[in-house]
Amino acid sequence: MRLPLWRRRQDEELDEELRSHLQMAIRDRVERGESLQQATDAARREFGNVLLVKETTRDMWGWVSIEQLWQDLVYAGRALRRTPGFTTAAVLTLALGIGANAAMFSVVYAVILRPLPFPDADRLMAINGLVVRDAGQVSPSASSSWPDYFDWRAKAQTFASLSAYHDTNFTVTGLGRSQHVPGAIVSAEFFATLGVAPSLGRAFRREEEHAGSNVIVVSDQFWRSQLGMSGDAVGRTMMVNGRSFTIIAVMPAGFRFPITFPPPELWTTIAEDAQVEEPGDTPMTAQRGAHFLQVIGRLKEGVRESAARAELETIASALAQQYPEDNAGRSVRVVPELEAVVGSAKRPLLVLLAAVACVLLIACVNLANLMTARGTARQRELALRMALGASRYRVARLVLTESLVLAVAGAALGLVAGSWLVRLLVHLSPTNIRGLDEVSMDAAVLVFTAAIALACGLFVGVAPAMRVTRSQPRQDLSETRTTAGRSQRRLLNALIVVETALGVLLLAVATFLVRGFDRLTHTDPGFDPSHVVTLRVGLPDSRYTYLKKVAFFDELLPELARLPGIEAVSLVAPLPLGGSRFGVSFDLPGRTARSAAERLSAEFAFVGPDYFRAMRIPLRRGREFTAADGDDAPRVVVINEAFAQQYFPGEEPLGKRIRPGLSTTEDETPWREVVGIAGNVKQQTLNERVKPLYFVPYAQGMITTPHIVLRSAGPPEAVPESARKLIAARDPELAVFDVRTMDEYFGRVVASPRFTTLLLMLFAVLGVALSAVGLYGVLAYTVVQRTHEFGVRFALGARPRDVVRGVMGGAFALVGSGLLVGVVASMALNRALARTLDFVQPVDAAAYPIVALVLLSVAAVAAYTPARRAARVDPVTTLRAG
Amino acid sequence: MVATKHHKNRIELLQGTLDLLILETLRWGPSHGYGISQALRAQSADVLCVDAGSLYPALHRLERQGLVRAEWAISENKQRTRVYRLTPAGRQRLAGERSKWEQLSAAIESVLNRTRPSES
Repeated sequence: MRLPLWRRRQDEELDEELRSHLQMAIRDRVERGESLQQATDAARREFGNVLLVKETTRDMWGWVSIEQLWQDLVYAGRALRRTPGFTTAAVLTLALGIGANAAMFSVVYAVILRPLPFPDADRLMAINGLVVRDAGQVSPSASSSWPDYFDWRAKAQTFASLSAYHDTNFTVTGLGRSQHVPGAIVSAEFFATLGVAPSLGRAFRREEEHAGSNVIVVSDQFWRSQLGMSGDAVGRTMMVNGRSFTIIAVMPAGFRFPITFPPPELWTTIAEDAQVEEPGDTPMTAQRGAHFLQVIGRLKEGVRESAARAELETIASALAQQYPEDNAGRSVRVVPELEAVVGSAKRPLLVLLAAVACVLLIACVNLANLMTARGTARQRELALRMALGASRYRVARLVLTESLVLAVAGAALGLVAGSWLVRLLVHLSPTNIRGLDEVSMDAAVLVFTAAIALACGLFVGVAPAMRVTRSQPRQDLSETRTTAGRSQRRLLNALIVVETALGVLLLAVATFLVRGFDRLTHTDPGFDPSHVVTLRVGLPDSRYTYLKKVAFFDELLPELARLPGIEAVSLVAPLPLGGSRFGVSFDLPGRTARSAAERLSAEFAFVGPDYFRAMRIPLRRGREFTAADGDDAPRVVVINEAFAQQYFPGEEPLGKRIRPGLSTTEDETPWREVVGIAGNVKQQTLNERVKPLYFVPYAQGMITTPHIVLRSAGPPEAVPESARKLIAARDPELAVFDVRTMDEYFGRVVASPRFTTLLLMLFAVLGVALSAVGLYGVLAYTVVQRTHEFGVRFALGARPRDVVRGVMGGAFALVGSGLLVGVVASMALNRALARTLDFVQPVDAAAYPIVALVLLSVAAVAAYTPARRAARVDPVTTLRAG
Repeated sequence: MVATKHHKNRIELLQGTLDLLILETLRWGPSHGYGISQALRAQSADVLCVDAGSLYPALHRLERQGLVRAEWAISENKQRTRVYRLTPAGRQRLAGERSKWEQLSAAIESVLNRTRPSES
């Protein structure tokens, strides 16, 4: 036995002490007249088992537990080294299971669980607007308006500070080529709410919210790349959106809020929204109906989320009474900011985590299988240990230690595999999920891995350890087995069924996802995305009034159309599958709403001439817009089929009129005539139900920076550069941005389902492979155990075919039961899964034949080799050996 | 199996009483493990026979608790052996254990010797 150094001396002393005891006893007996031999025997007998005495005495020393652990480890290591095949299989199985879990958990942790990088981040709340429509139907409208925010800020007592912001893009000129820089427009207390102070300079002040203040804060990244890290950057001026701004602060490295992709680089105040184009216009900051803000608040210390929610709801309902026209039916929703940020990324990740846990469970069941089989083989060894005086508890602990050693080794290897897998996951994952750029195997992941490794070790080790404590050493020592024990085999069989069922579950879920994803990508978006390039041009308000913007595009679009290889050019906002949708209210003749809640609302887009041709959206009736539909021409709209069906059912929509709540000047909201009906187009996702939408010509409703769409005859690679040149020739200060092909947008829309599907497939393959290995292992083991039996059968005239059939039949009975259980479970899961992942169909019966086919073929492969081996058993050899 | 038969005449020690007996034995002077077991046997007229498997764990436990102190010494037979002696803490514990034991045995005795009401 190898003892740690510090313990050896004490152990020798105990030896000597006990020896002296024996010797004194012998001497006493000799003095009483016994022979030396008699005396020695009697003294020994009286003393009892020296090893046991030593062991129990050592137990009193205090570090026994450490020392016994050491011993157990040494024994376990030795036992595992003796069976390298088993050990390798076990460690690899666990490493795969644990590694996949560690990797998946690190993604889940980074995206869902890791707190936002702000002090006391749990006190940060997102305050979202909420619209309760007539029928009690609640539609979350995430945004709020400036006037509403100002009222909340003035009245709310539960928040230490409350800040509103919206992301935007700035055009920066004068620092090299004009650039389009992502940023945000924020209220003065923005940085204070987040609890982050600038690394240089100072935060915004309340008086800087008034128009004309022109102060700006830059990110560390911007300061490094654009301002040369200059120490006197604060106080300098730079040209933003055509006006001169004073830089008042540089934010610390890593500061990132709002969470946008790419991250914001510039922050300026509400002053930007308080500007007006024409004197007398109403600025955005005074339009209560203009909902486009996000609001974040920091709770006062000790204030509960529910208290804040109640307070804001009260304030909101007061506002709804005070301003019924804009606010009737509007309320608020207060949720933790982290929840708001994580948003829809959460559910797919949790599904994946569950799937990968399933893989681990299969790995563990597999290992439990191996351990049980091995336990039978070791029965004699363990029985011998007990016969030699080891307590049952010690032997059980030894067995348990073995499985824990395996689990730790598996975890160590799993971490290596996991760190590699994490890189793969991040590489495959959609880019617009917060936290994915910061995935790492950090302390939380290590703790998680240690915890699951421990759980695995216990799961796998407890059953064999229990068996030891129940076993009968004498029987085990004498028994020679010719067929496997019945309870033994029943346990192995049950494990196989469980494993197969888990594998089927994974496979079924993966099949649901693959089929759902396939359907999704084959969904017709309503337009043809191939060969279309899109780009945007930022026209600064300071130099481009509304009419100048219209004129700019009026001239640019025909020029672009004349570029070589271009088939059609137009513009649109919002871009289909571009991520956003605009809802604008409207009136139908004879139905004028009195309040905001009653008003009809539909999706809205403004487009250029030739738009439907450029996007290949079928025009069902009427006409496209043309260059003649200008600002001074009669107001017109094109509606989609869904609009026609909902608002003009059974009627001829052409020539009908609607009045959108939308104008290019202050008061006029004219009636517009329907001149065309276009095919339905998917706006945000491929599996959405198409909603009623109406289009207006851009000259009659350009409310934001549009996307220019260019359809080319050939590959679109060269298009952006030539377009960029043309634009620069018109105005060198303009920044061109969001240059992307329509295929890219299409790819983005399916990125998240693709990621989920791909990973689930990976996990299903892993799970099924592991269960196949488990099946193989158990069959191979049983065949070896039954060698004698097969020998007898052959001797009695069985043909090899019968034996193969017997083994395969047994295997298929097990796999079949597993399949049945798995299918029933996955049927139950299908609907829940469809609720969680919107691209999955709630009832997908066609998936099951696929699952069954895959599983049964895998099982056939796994069972074939052991069955063949059984068929080759030589009766003569086995019977002689028996 | 002489030893086994022999054992049957003996009384199992109550949990915790072994400590009391060891401490009491050591009150008469330092002794080694064998000496303690012999003294216990002699004092109890062969009724109490403490086996080594109980004695040594108890001695080592008492040593760890600081109730006895052990050192190497040469026995009367020139045998190097480990000798235990009572520490002041051990003496104090002995007094406490003794009075507890006396209370307990008195209590047990009174229970056992009570005439049961139903029988009177």
